Amino acid sequence: MISGIRTIGILCFALAAGCAGFKEAPPGATAQPLIVDPSLVGRNLDRAVADEPPRSEAIQEDLAVTPPPAEPRQPVMTGNEAVRLEPLAGPPTPPTELSRSQSAAKAAPPPAKATAKVSASPVAVEQPRKNEGPPPVARRLEPPLDVAALKARLRDTNAIGLFTKLALKNQVDDLLQQFRAHYLSGQKSSVTALRQPYDMLVLKVLALIQDSDPSLARTIAGSREAIWGILADPEKFNSAI
Amino acid sequence: MITRTRASALIFSLAALFTGPSPASEDVTLLKDLTSVIMLLGLPCGQVVSAKRQADNDHIATCKDGNRYRIFVNAEGRVVAQKQ
Repeated sequence: MISGIRTIGILCFALAAGCAGFKEAPPGATAQPLIVDPSLVGRNLDRAVADEPPRSEAIQEDLAVTPPPAEPRQPVMTGNEAVRLEPLAGPPTPPTELSRSQSAAKAAPPPAKATAKVSASPVAVEQPRKNEGPPPVARRLEPPLDVAALKARLRDTNAIGLFTKLALKNQVDDLLQQFRAHYLSGQKSSVTALRQPYDMLVLKVLALIQDSDPSLARTIAGSREAIWGILADPEKFNSAI
Repeated sequence: MITRTRASALIFSLAALFTGPSPASEDVTLLKDLTSVIMLLGLPCGQVVSAKRQADNDHIATCKDGNRYRIFVNAEGRVVAQKQ
């Protein structure tokens, strides 16, 4: 009795496990309509109605045949005569003898071919857009810091210890004192002599925090020129410091 | 027997979960801080491998390359590294 119940239970479990392994197709795969290529209808009815792989092949063929419409096509040299290829949406021009027969052959396909191309082109246009870059949220950058905001961010971060923060504050104050002395002395020379100690200090800060607080390191690296712009301008320096 | 083993495993895992930072991790933080200070002051060290506390904000740091520094905050509020 118990063994029979156990057998039934095992069978139910096996059945449930088999159902769990059956996955539904993703919604994008079922929602795409079938495309019937009218040019293939007359030749082979078996190939005319196609599933996904022939559809992608048709798109590939269209991409290979149709150039970008806005770009004027270059003339192709065949022997002694140049055959001018016309843009698809451009105005008609008088055809040559050779191109007249070719254009007649090209004009022969039914208008449904054009609709097939039109239906395929949005897919071809959308695909490159998907790889443009990260989403806008990831690309968003913080605004550049000024000196006070930089001090506050360094004071609040946990990436560096207390001794390091104090030593860093001392060095920042020393650099600001050098700028202040430069502006008070009324020297005509520019502050470019102070650019090197400024860069060195920024590099030290970045070396200290880049592993533990990479977002702050990125913000400081991005604010480097903005902060220099404040320090190098006497009016901005006096108003900001 | 099994119940006792499970209970002891649960006790050990909870104890490991709720205990605070160990002194060893605090030491690592301090050593890293002292290493950063010495680097910031431009002194040769490499890495601080041990530190001995003398007073508040006053440590003797021993570097990997054998250098020893006394790192402290002086009366003016500046961090100083004195080579020993």
